[in-house]
This record gives sequence, C-alpha cells and structure tokens, in this order.
Amino acid sequence: MAIPNFNYLAPTTLKEALTMRVSHGAKSSIMAGGTDLLIKMAHRNHHPEYVIGLNCVADINYIRYNAAGNLAIGPMAKLSTIMDHPDIVSHFPALSHSSGVTATVQIRNMSTLIGNIVNASPSADNATPLLVLDASLVIMHEGGEREVPLHEFFLGFGNSVMKPTELIKEMILPMPGKNSGSSYQKISTRSKVDIAGVCVSAFLTLNDAGVITTARIALGSVAPKPIRVPQAEQVLEGQKPSIELFRKAAALSREEAKPISDMRASADYRKAMVEVLTIRALEASLLIATNKTH
Amino acid sequence: MTKVNVKLKINGDPYELAVRPNRTLVEVLRDDLHLTGTKIGCKTGDCGACTILLDGKSVCSCMTLAIEAQGKEITTIEGVGLSYDKLHPIQEAFVNEGAVQCGYCTPGMIMSAKNLLDKNPKPTELEIRKALSGNLCRCTGYARIVKAIEVASEKMYNTQK
Amino acid sequence: MNDTKTNNNSLIGQSIPRIDSPSKVTGKAQYAGDIILPGTLYGKLLLSTVAHAKIKNIDISAALALPGVKDVIVGKDTPCIKFGNWRLFPNTQDELPLAVDKVRFIGDEIAAVAAITPEIAEAAIALIKVEYELLPAVFNIDDSLAPGAPLIHDENKELTSNISLDRKIDVGDIEQAFKDADYIREDSFLVHPHSHAYMEPCATIAETDAEGRVTIYTSTQTPYIVQCLLASTLGIPENHVRVVKPAIGGGFGGKMELRTWEFCAAFMSRRTGRPVRFVLTRQEELEIGRRRHGMKIKSKVGFKKDGTIVAKDFEAYLDGGAYNSMGPTATFLCGNFGAMLYRYPVYRYRGYHVYTNLPPSGAMRGFGAPQAMFISETQMNMAAIDLGIDAIDLRIKNAMVTGDKIEGVTTISSAGFVESLEKIASATQWKEKKKNLPPNKGIGIGCYSFISGGVFNWFNTQYHFSACEVRAYDDGTAHLFTMSCDIGQGSDTVLRQILAADLGILPNMIRLTAGDTAMTPKGDLGTWGSRVTLMNGNAILDASKKIKNELAKIVSVKFNLNVIHDVAFADGRVFAKANPKYGMTFGEAVTMWVKMNRGEELTARGVYTPRDKGLTTPAYSFGAQVAEVDVDPETGVVTVEKISTAHDCGTVINPLSVEGQLEGAIQMGLGYTLCEQFAIKDGKTLNTTFLDYKVPAAEDMPQIVSYKIDTYEKEGPFGAKEVGEGLVIPTAPAIADAVFQATGYRCKDLPITPEKILKSQGKI
Repeated sequence: MAIPNFNYLAPTTLKEALTMRVSHGAKSSIMAGGTDLLIKMAHRNHHPEYVIGLNCVADINYIRYNAAGNLAIGPMAKLSTIMDHPDIVSHFPALSHSSGVTATVQIRNMSTLIGNIVNASPSADNATPLLVLDASLVIMHEGGEREVPLHEFFLGFGNSVMKPTELIKEMILPMPGKNSGSSYQKISTRSKVDIAGVCVSAFLTLNDAGVITTARIALGSVAPKPIRVPQAEQVLEGQKPSIELFRKAAALSREEAKPISDMRASADYRKAMVEVLTIRALEASLLIATNKTH
Repeated sequence: MTKVNVKLKINGDPYELAVRPNRTLVEVLRDDLHLTGTKIGCKTGDCGACTILLDGKSVCSCMTLAIEAQGKEITTIEGVGLSYDKLHPIQEAFVNEGAVQCGYCTPGMIMSAKNLLDKNPKPTELEIRKALSGNLCRCTGYARIVKAIEVASEKMYNTQK
Repeated sequence: MNDTKTNNNSLIGQSIPRIDSPSKVTGKAQYAGDIILPGTLYGKLLLSTVAHAKIKNIDISAALALPGVKDVIVGKDTPCIKFGNWRLFPNTQDELPLAVDKVRFIGDEIAAVAAITPEIAEAAIALIKVEYELLPAVFNIDDSLAPGAPLIHDENKELTSNISLDRKIDVGDIEQAFKDADYIREDSFLVHPHSHAYMEPCATIAETDAEGRVTIYTSTQTPYIVQCLLASTLGIPENHVRVVKPAIGGGFGGKMELRTWEFCAAFMSRRTGRPVRFVLTRQEELEIGRRRHGMKIKSKVGFKKDGTIVAKDFEAYLDGGAYNSMGPTATFLCGNFGAMLYRYPVYRYRGYHVYTNLPPSGAMRGFGAPQAMFISETQMNMAAIDLGIDAIDLRIKNAMVTGDKIEGVTTISSAGFVESLEKIASATQWKEKKKNLPPNKGIGIGCYSFISGGVFNWFNTQYHFSACEVRAYDDGTAHLFTMSCDIGQGSDTVLRQILAADLGILPNMIRLTAGDTAMTPKGDLGTWGSRVTLMNGNAILDASKKIKNELAKIVSVKFNLNVIHDVAFADGRVFAKANPKYGMTFGEAVTMWVKMNRGEELTARGVYTPRDKGLTTPAYSFGAQVAEVDVDPETGVVTVEKISTAHDCGTVINPLSVEGQLEGAIQMGLGYTLCEQFAIKDGKTLNTTFLDYKVPAAEDMPQIVSYKIDTYEKEGPFGAKEVGEGLVIPTAPAIADAVFQATGYRCKDLPITPEKILKSQGKI
C-alpha cells in the first residue's frame, strides 16, 4: 500500500524540532532514518499528520565522548557508523555486533541507533545490548530535559515512556570499567539475514580478584518488551565465574522469559534458546572481560 | 499536504519537480523521471531491487522520501555505466561471469557491489556475501554474482594500481 | 558482444554471455512494470477478505463517484466466461476473472478499479463495500474431505466432494508384488507449499485500438496461452488479442496462466479506450500468487533382501486451494514422477486434487517432482539403512538406464543416472566421509529426474507444440522468431546459439524476436516444463535445415558441384565441404537465392511436436546430489556447508547457463527445505513480506560444486535435454538425509526447522 500523505516539517535545529513536536503532539512523528516509520505508515499502523524530519538538523549524527567521559550518540547516528566506530568496537562489543547484524546493509545505512530503540520493538537487535550496557536516553521536553535509563524506557510492545510532545536528544553509554566485557547473541532460525527469533545480551565486570562485580543480562523477543533479568544478574554478582554459575543464571533467564509462539519461533523453542544464548553471552563476555579475545 | 518543490541531483543532473511529501524516491525516479532501471521488488526494504546510492552509500529508494533526498548525490544504475560499450567494470563482470539471469535484481545488486567496492576494494568472499545481505536473487543462487564482484574488484584494483 | 572466430558446432558448449545482459546491467531492459503509455490508467484489485462466502451485494457507487476514477468493474460486468489451462476438459476450467456469486479464498478477486493515479485507484478500492454471507471454510486436505465439508465448487454438479480430479496409474499386480517383498517401507509425509518468489511482481499493461483489438504487455512465460484465454474471456477472436512479452523478472512456473489482472487491464482498456496498467505489490504476490502444491502423501515400497525394488504404491493428495489452476497437471505428473528414477516393476498411483479455501496452487519449477521425489528419495535412504546397503549402492542397483520403459507411458531414451551416482560417490568420498562423520556433521544424498518438455496436450492446441520462423538476409544476418520466452533462464541466448551453430554464422548476426503473438509463430506453448531447449531447439533446427537446403542449392549450382558433395555452413560461409574454396559468404548465398526467386524473401518455418514419444516427455534428465551439513546441537540451526551435484543434461549448449541453473536451483531447494514456509492462519497468509517469507540470502548459500555426466540425447538438439527444473528436486532429500546423519532427526514433514530437530531429540 502507498504511504498516506502528510505534512513534512524540516527543522534545522533540535530546538526547532521540539517546538514542532510540542505543537503537534500525537499528530506528529519524528523521522530519523525512516525505515520503521514508513513501513508502519504504509501498513496503516501509524497515521501522523505531521512528520518531523531530522534530516536537515546539522551535526546530530555524532558519536563522541561527553564531559563526563561517557559516549554520547546523536539521534542521526546511523547503524552502519555505529558498527564500525572504533570506540564502540573496543568498549561496547555487544553493540558493535548487534548494530552490524541489524537488518541489511542498506537498512543499516539508513537507520539510526536511536530510531531502532525508540520504536520499542521487543525484537530490536540493539535493545538488549544497550540494556546491558546501561544506556540512557536524554529526552527533551518543553520544560527542559530528562535522562531516562533504558531499562525504564520501555513499557510494552511499541510503547515507551516518551510522550508525543517529546524528542530524544541523545543516547548516553557509560564507559565500562576495566575488566569488562559484553556480548550479543542472536538466533535467526531461517536465514543469516533475519529478525532475531531470540536474542540475549550480557555484560560482566570483574574485579582484580576475578570476582564478578557487575552482571547484566537482557533478553529480546521473549516478552512484550526487551527485558533485564535481575534474578539471574544477582546470582552472578559476587561470584567467581564458572560454567556452573553461568548455567544457573541461564536457567533463571529461561524462567523469566515469557515468550509467545509466532511464525518465527514457538514459545518452547524461544525459552530453550534463552538458556543456550545466556550461557553463550556470558562466556563471550567473560572472554572479553578477561582479555582473552582481541 | 500540498506538493512541495524538490531539487534532486541524480547522476550529476539537476532535476526540479513538485512532489507530495509521501512520495518515495523510487516512485519519483520511476514514475516521474522515467528512470526505470531502479526496480521495485517489495517496497518494504527487504529485497534490495530498488538500491541506489545516496551520497555514495547504498540505501533502499523505496524507504527514502524524495523530499529527504534533496541536497544529496543520488546515483542510480543509469549513472553507473555510460552505454552498452562503456560498461563499468562491475557491469562488465556481471555480463561476462553470468551473474545476470532474469536481471530484475541486477541493478540493485550492482549498486550494492559498488557500495562495497568503493569502501573495500579487495573484499573476501564472505565480505561480499555479507555486503549482499540486502539484495535477494531468485535465479542465480548468488554464486556468479559473488564471482563477478571478485572479478570486478580484481580489475578495478589492478587498474587503479 | 565481440564474438571471436566461430566454427560451426564449436559454438555448442561455449559459455557465451547472455545476449540480454548488457541491457539488464545498465537498467535499460524493459519489464512490464516499466512501461507507461500515454494516457495510462492505474488499476487496482479488490480482494476478498473472507475465505468462503456468498457475495450478497457489491456497492461500487462511492468508488465510481471518486474524482479521477475512470472505471470500476465487478464480475457481473464481465462476460463471465470461465478459464483455466485445461481447455481439453472444460469442466476443469473453474475460474472467473472476477468472482460473481461466491468467493473461495482470502484474496479471491472481486472488483477492479482504473483511475488516473495509483493512489486514487487504491482509495477507490477502499470505498467498495461488499456484503458477504459467510460459509464454512476448510483449510486443509483432511477437513476438505471430511464428511459434511462445504463444497467449494458446488456449481459443478459433477463433483460430489472437494476432489476436483483424480488420476490412477496401475502397472502390474500390486497385492501380489508386496507379498513377494522381503522388506516393506511404508511412510506418510507432508510437504508444504512454496512460493516462486520471483523478484519481479506481476505487471501488465493493456491498450485497445480503434477497432477494439487489444495489445497487452505482460509478465508471462506463455504468451500464446494468455492470448487464447484472454480472447475467450473477453469474448473476442484470438487474433484480436496481441500478447507481448517484455523482459521477465523470473517465472519458475508462476507466470504461465491467464491471471485476473491481465483480464481486467484488457477489459477496462476496451471500456475506457485508455491503456490500463496493473502492477502487483509483493504483499499481493505472497497473498494471491500461485505456489507449489502442498501434499499429503503415503508411499509404500517393497524390496527384496538384496535391495531390488519389487513394487511401489504411491498415494498423493494435493492441496489445490480454491481453483484448479495447473493442479490437474501436477496431479498427473506427481504420479509419473513417483515412478521415475528406479525400476519399479509394479507401480500403483492414486492422485487426488483437493479444493480447499486457500490460495490456489499452480505450476512451480519441478511441478510435482520435488514432492514425489522428496518422498522416494527419503524412503530410499531409510530403506538403505534397514537393508544394510549403502544408499548409493541401493540406488545403483535399481537405477533406470538408457532404454528402460514404463509400459505404455514412456521410454528412457538416455540416462546418465548410474554414472551420476558413481561420480558423486567418488567425488564426495561418500563412503569414507559417512563412516567417519564428526559430531553434528552429516552427509546425505538425493537424486532427481525430470522431463524435457511435456507431451501432454491439456491446453488442446491445434498447432505444433513448438514453432519458430527463420528469415535469412542478403547482408549475412538472420532473424529468429520464437514464442519461447526467456524468463531469466537464458533461452534467448541458447536458441540463438543453436541457430548460429547450425547456420555457421555468428550469434550476434541473428536478431531475435520472442514472445509477441502478432509476430512469432502461432501455437508454441511458451516456456514451461523445461521444454524450450529441446522442443524449440528442434524447431529451430528444422527451420535451419530448410534454409540450408535452399542455400546449398545455390552453392551447388554456382560451382557446378557434383551431387555427391555435401555443403557445409561455417565461419559465415556456405561451401563444398570437401573443397571449401567452392563457396561464398552466407550473405552472398542469400542474395543469389533472392535473385533466383525474383525478389522473394528466404524464410522457413520450423516446427516440433513430440509424436510417438509416449505420454510424458521425449527425454529425461538425471542426477545425484550430496549435501554436507553442520547442525548446532544446542540451537538446532542447520548450516549447509557444501552441495555437490553430478548431473546429466545431455549435451551442454552453454555451460555458464547450465551452472547458473544449478546454483539457482540450489537456492530455491535450500529455501524449500529450511526456511521458506507460508504462515497461514484461518486461510489468511500472515507472512506477506520478504522479511517473513524468508528466501535464502547470499550468506546462506553453501559451497557448490558440480560434475557434468556426458550423455547424448538423440531426441534433443545437438544431444541436449533439460536442465531448468530437475535440479531443484534433490536438495530437500539430500539435506534431510544429511540432517538425519547429523542429528537422528528424519524429516517427513517439510520444512526442516531447528525446533523440529530439537523436539525429536527431546531437547525441548
């Protein structure tokens, strides 16, 4: 079906974009890469009267360190840039991996990281890595800005805490401490170029004694939104890594997964794969944290 | 929701036309400008038949609003080869290596190949296959397409030396 | 193309690049959807949203009132003439261009709009209101055949159930044969529907001249069939319809019938006096496009202890969907293919074509064979284990060889099957590898045989099965007219190669006009059933022979050749074979012929009809394929690492094209086996994008190697036979067998999914 018509607004600054957002509210949609929005509009799942394109806003495709030493990613930073960016490759391996296997080359050249997140799809490739990397979003609103940790951002399928009058300014990735590692694991049962049937990300930080001080695990495609698994994380923290420990965490992940059956995979399969992928993600994270890769 | 004037630079040529904001670039290319070399296979960004280069990067023109392509260099298949006897090395390799069967995916494949070789002149076979992740072909099994890109890379690389 | 020296038959076996490639790599090739004529109107179809219902009322008033809408039609506006490819049996023609009283599947076409823009057409469609009276619907074979099931074609009073057609084959005494068997293998299988997924969605544009004659440019592989059926549904003479085939973006059997949009474009162009164009969306393609038949099959094979097959009892129920489409042929062929590959001294087939409220199945690459042979090959692999005989040895023991006959049906005029099996065994180190399989690795085998065009005449044509015309010119060129359609398989190149080789001129000296019913020879049935190289190739040789005969006379007279001299055609010359200096260029010979005939043009018609070639085909291809896989033991994900094929297609005319067919077939076969599956719920197709209907991408493809087995097929041009379709068959059984070796999971229910593997192992 053809995309229904709309008014296209082309702000040149984020501030201007916010003003448009405030005045048009729920009648408006923000368009960054457009790859999700246009499909939704063509399928009549979304009918914005105003599309606010960020295309003409200058200098918002940045990936740079902010004053606090954390990585800030602008709303127009494309997945194809993220995947190869040296700082992301070296400090946020789960994200460089996930962005590199999101959709196809062409879509990665068009899509933005923030767009992939804002859609709040449970199967978004980059959601679980960003959850375990403890990313947060800086949201602009009429009264100013607020920073929302990603694990508080998602509410449900296609639903987030962002209001129709708001706008994402940037994403912040806290710099992981030393002896940290992260990993993204995805199963596409049908093709190497496929939406994840299940995906799991893990993040580990170890202290010098080799004890896990921080553990984060996130699951995708197994609930209405991408989720963290605090029960499994707690089991890991304060322990020395071992395969038995990882198995225990993986079993807890499996328990927390509440997937549905659809044409991509059945609920049973998804649950079983959560366990498999959790172990794989933890093992891969550990390898990086203990510097056994690279 | 009236039409908007847009200026597009396509294969180096300036075009000026009025379009409604909902018009995608592939629709404007094919229906308004009669540049029908760019194909439509799905209109959902999954098949890659509509691949073009935008500022040198491959994108799906079915997922790109014409209005947003303003101010960018648009390259379509018509801008790759000059004529039947002056084919780009990628096109020449596609012909000689048997990479073309029904030909419907071919323009998009060539644009993706160009996107790859412009960045990575000597890709490995796996890199080529990954670079074609967004281009589906139902006729060739991709084998000869991969071979053609290898041959083109070889030729372009040697030429450049 | 800069051809180098050409020397007669040396053109045969040359990897000549496709003649249409330069136009395709530059984007200049014109497909039906690229054509817009002055004044074009844009068409759109209204599809049924319910699976089975009576149409109580259709209100088109709001659509007609929408500014920019030029025409809206419903079934009752049309002549209401049924169509279908089985003209020989009018009762099988069960489809109307637009539904009149009833809709029978979600997607059944109800109305059409023509408007000045595509957007207006789409908006108008949304304004049409249909009142349905819902009827109970059936979505699988079992429900459709259950007592009390709704009759989907209750208008056909000859039908008492949803079985639209059956087919029986009985060779020998089946009961007795099984009594003589030492071992009986009996299994039930389900095979799923499969989309052609050609990259070019169907497109068509029709215009009507002042006298009401229609010209239609359409994505079809069978222009003559479309011409005949379009004329009959419009109620006008066939000669008032001209079907032109532009470049075709893949067909695979999915573009060989008259389709509704072709009718609507033509019909509305006659009503409006303006060109009318339809271009299907991918969503529509996946919703209403034809597909390979899903089937439910029971098969029982009896063996002697030593592995000799004694009998086979084969029963297939085909899920035809809501209309016959090409289903009757599939029902017929499935039975024939069930008897292929091995010597079955006793054979029984029962095939049933069953209506359901699903999108109609039709012809698709392999046409009954991928299903039939998935079963026969899987059973051979299972029997081999039970009998303690190597799977390849068991096949060699029973393999068809040249000269074998299926009584009253067919003769195998050439077969390189045993050689294919021997070659693949040695090339893949089959026995060694199988004995020493590392964990999670598997190696498996599947074989195939396929027809080189059909002998069957269901279309009821009065004309020759295949025909061409060759015109030779005084400038040394020739013009080949053929109804064969290059749909990507490369027939334009191969046919030109055949003619050039025979006339001894360069391929690029031949202009080719294909698939235009106003110009190309009447009757040729087009491109399907792997018929083109053999049938049209033979027709071309027939025409070429006539041309050569004429030119030989010229040379003979000019040089006063003794009657015993043979005249040769090579290097663009016509000359006495024993003394080449007695000769002239091809163009000079044509010039003299024209002068001698006082200005006549030198033309010849060539024809081919398979007379006295049994009931199926003049020639069969054969081959064997080995797949090597790796299966992740935790996730069940199958990676196909390598596929090796030894195949017999007779003489290879163009190796580049043959390899292209093989590689493409593996992609399609791999998809069929592992990742392509329609998700249908209550008759509604859920996966209508390539995001969810998953065809393999470049990264999914295995390493591919192939070995050509040398045979010469006396029925084929220069010894050639089919290569287009058969190769799609062996991949599913080969992969399935390899997966069994790796995991212990034996697939009897395609496709193979990670989940099925893990479930069979009790891991989930």
